[in-house]
Amino acid sequence: MSGEPRSNPFATRYTRPGAIPPLDATGQPLDVARLAEDIRRMRGLSIEGPHGTGKSTLLVAISAAFETAGQLGATVRLRQTRDAVTAIAAVGRAPSGSVVCLDGWNVLGSSALLVRLLARLRGVMLVVTSHRATGLPLVVRTSATLALLAAIVARLPDHGRSIEAADLADALGHHPSDLREALLELYDRFEERTRGGARG
Amino acid sequence: MTSGLDTAGRFPAVTASFSSADRRYEPLEEILVRYTVELPPTAVVRSVERSILWYTEGKGEEDIGVHFFERITERAAVTEATAGSSFGARLPSSPLSYEGVIVKIRWCARVRLFFEEGRDFVSEHVFEVGHVPVATIVPS
Amino acid sequence: MRFPRFFAKKRGHRRTVSEVWGSVAEGLFHAGLVVAGLVFGGLLATGVAVPEWRINHRFVEAEAIVVGKGLARRTTARERTWEPAFRLRYETPAGPTEAWAFRGGPIATRARAVALLADVSLDATMPCWYDPDAPGTVVLARGYNWWMWLLTLLLPSALVGFGGAGLVRSIVGWRKSEERRAVTFRPIAAHPHPAIPSCDDLVNSPGTVLRFRLPTSGTEGWNLLGFGLFALLWNTVLTVLAVTAGLDLIGGRIDWLLLPILVPFAVVGITGIVMFVRQLVLTSAVGTTQLEISDHPLRPGGHYDVLLAQSGSGVFQNLTVTLELEEQATFRQGTDTRTERLVVWRSTVASWKDVQLAPGTRFEAKARLTLPATAMHSFVSEHNAVSWRVVVHGRAARWPAFSRGFPVVVHPVAPSPRHAEPQEMSL
Repeated sequence: MSGEPRSNPFATRYTRPGAIPPLDATGQPLDVARLAEDIRRMRGLSIEGPHGTGKSTLLVAISAAFETAGQLGATVRLRQTRDAVTAIAAVGRAPSGSVVCLDGWNVLGSSALLVRLLARLRGVMLVVTSHRATGLPLVVRTSATLALLAAIVARLPDHGRSIEAADLADALGHHPSDLREALLELYDRFEERTRGGARG
Repeated sequence: MTSGLDTAGRFPAVTASFSSADRRYEPLEEILVRYTVELPPTAVVRSVERSILWYTEGKGEEDIGVHFFERITERAAVTEATAGSSFGARLPSSPLSYEGVIVKIRWCARVRLFFEEGRDFVSEHVFEVGHVPVATIVPS
Repeated sequence: MRFPRFFAKKRGHRRTVSEVWGSVAEGLFHAGLVVAGLVFGGLLATGVAVPEWRINHRFVEAEAIVVGKGLARRTTARERTWEPAFRLRYETPAGPTEAWAFRGGPIATRARAVALLADVSLDATMPCWYDPDAPGTVVLARGYNWWMWLLTLLLPSALVGFGGAGLVRSIVGWRKSEERRAVTFRPIAAHPHPAIPSCDDLVNSPGTVLRFRLPTSGTEGWNLLGFGLFALLWNTVLTVLAVTAGLDLIGGRIDWLLLPILVPFAVVGITGIVMFVRQLVLTSAVGTTQLEISDHPLRPGGHYDVLLAQSGSGVFQNLTVTLELEEQATFRQGTDTRTERLVVWRSTVASWKDVQLAPGTRFEAKARLTLPATAMHSFVSEHNAVSWRVVVHGRAARWPAFSRGFPVVVHPVAPSPRHAEPQEMSL
C-alpha cells in the first residue's frame, strides 16, 4: 500500500448512531435540549419511524443530554424478545425520576406493558425507539427524505466528488424509507469508483 | 483525525510523529510515537490515555483491539504527558493493516485528554503494519 | 509423505454450523426459560407468597374459644390426607364471629389426626388471627414457608440476573473511553497470533492420504434435519387433527371449525414432505465431498497438496476446486442483524470435466494449491472477518449446481526485513 489509507466516508464509523448529530426531515439539527425539557414535562418520549431514519441517532443524543444532567438511569439496546428481562432489570434498578432509554421497543411485544407499568410505579421516564406506535405521551416521528440524506452526506468526511447529487436520489429511490441502506449503497458506489471494477 | 468537544471556543491540537518516517512498520517491530499538545488557555486536563490499537472500518460494526493502553491520572505525570511526550510498544504479529472492500483493518495511535469539566478530546494517528496489497472487487 | 491408511478412523469433533437454525433453537430455548420462569414466579407470588405475607402483616390477633372440632379429609389421585379442624368463636369489630380454622397441616394417617384433635378440648381458648377485610377467614398459626419464599425470589432473580448481565456491561462502560472499555472486557494478553481464528477444529481430523481432512462449512445436513423435523412434527399434528375430524364425522358430528383448518394444514404438510424428500434425494444423488490437505495452517507463499474425493452417481459435468478470500461484515439493521459477504480474491486450483461415477465409487484426484506471497492472513473479530476457504463447485447431470466450502486458516508470514513496494494480487 502506498500513501495514506483511503477512508470510505460512508463507512459505519462515520454513519453510526451518535457520529452525526440528530437532524430533522429537512436536514436541520434537532434541538435536543428542548426535547429533554419536553420529556421531563411529559414524562416520556417515543421516537417512531421506519428502519434507518435516525431514531437511534436521536436516542443517543437524548441519552447523552440526560447523562450530562446526571439523570440517566440506563441505556439499553433491545435486539430480541428475551431482552425484555434486561429492560425490566434496567427500569427496576434506575433511580426514581431518572430516564431509561430503550432502543428497539417493538421487540418487547407483550412485555412492553409490564415495562411501562414498572416504570410508572418507579417514577422512571422512558425514552424509546420503535417502528410503530407505543402509546407514550410524546412522539417524535422520523422519516427518510432526500434533504435529510443530503444533510448527512454533507457532514461526512470528504468523498472527493466521487458521489453526486444524482447518486443520493438514486440510492434513496432504491431504499425509499431506509437511510441506512441508502448510505450502504453509497458506500458501494464510492468503493467502485475509487477502486475500479464493478461489484460482483 | 481528531474529535472531541470544544473548550473555551477552541479545539485542542495534538501533533504526532512516528519513529518510522513513512509510518510503516513490520510485525513485531518496535514503534515509538512522539506527540505534542496545544491546549486552549482555560483547559485543565484531569487525565490522559495513550493507546496503540487496531480497528475495523467498512460496512460492519466497528471492532477494536487494544494492543497498548496507558492511563495517566497522577497530577505531575498528567502535566508532563500533556506538555508532550512519547510512548511505544512492540507490535504483534497480527493483524496486518488491510485495505479490503467491505472490511478494512487500520492501526493507529490515540491520545485522549480528559478535562476537568467532564469532556474529553481524542486524537488518532494512523500507521501501517505489513504490506498487504489493496483488495480488488471480483466479478462473480 | 505418510503412507495412506485404509482403515483410518474419523476422530475428533467436526461441527457444521448453521447460524439460522442455531439462532432459532437458541431463541426458542431462552423464550421458553423466560416464559416458564415468569409463569412459575407469578404462580408462587399469587398462590403462596402474597397470602403468606398478608397473614403475617395484615391479620388481626384475637382470642378464640373452641366451640367445635372435626377432621377435614382430602383425596387426590395419589393419596388421602386428614387435617384437624376447629370451630372458633372470636370477637371482631363486627361482633362475635364463628369460623373454621385448620391446624397441623395435612396428615397422612387418620389416627394421628384424631390424636391431635383430642389434645384440644372444647371451650379451650387459643390465639387466632383473622383477616380484617374478611373476618370469617381465620388462622391458628403464622410464619413463613421459607423454601417457598426462596423459590419465589430465586427464580425471578436468576432471570433478572441473566437479563441484567448485559446491562452491567453497559453500566461499567459509561464514562469510559472506547479503548479503556475494550481493555476492561478483553484484557491485553500475550497471544502468538492475535485476531486470527483458531484452527483447532480444522486440524483434529486426520486424512486417509494427506495429513488433514477439512470439515465443510455447508449447511446441507442442517437443512435436511430441519426439513425432516418440520415435516414430521407438522404432519403428526395434521394426523391428530384429521383423525379427530374423522371420528367426529363417523359419530355423526361435523366440526365446522376444524374441517376448514385441515385443508391449509394438509397443503403445508404435503409441501414439507416434498421439500424433505427433495433435499434427501439431492444429498444422496450428489453425494459427499471430502477434501484433504497436506498441511495446515497455511502461510502466504506456501504450496500445499489437496486431495478431492467426490461420491455420487451419474455424470458430473464439471468439478472445480477454487481458493477464495471472502470478507464478512456484520451490521445492525434496527433490531435485525445482517451479514454481508464479498469474495475479493479467487483462483482456480484444478478443474475436471465429464466425470463418470458409478454408485458406490468415488472420484479422487490431487491438485497443488499455492497461496500468493502477499496474501492477507485470516482475521476474525466480533463483527468482521477475512476468511479463506477452498471451494468445490460441481454440477451433476439433471441436478442443480452445488458448492461446498472448506474453511482454512492462513497465518501471517514470519516477519522479514523491509522489502520493495508490494504488487497487486491478480487472478
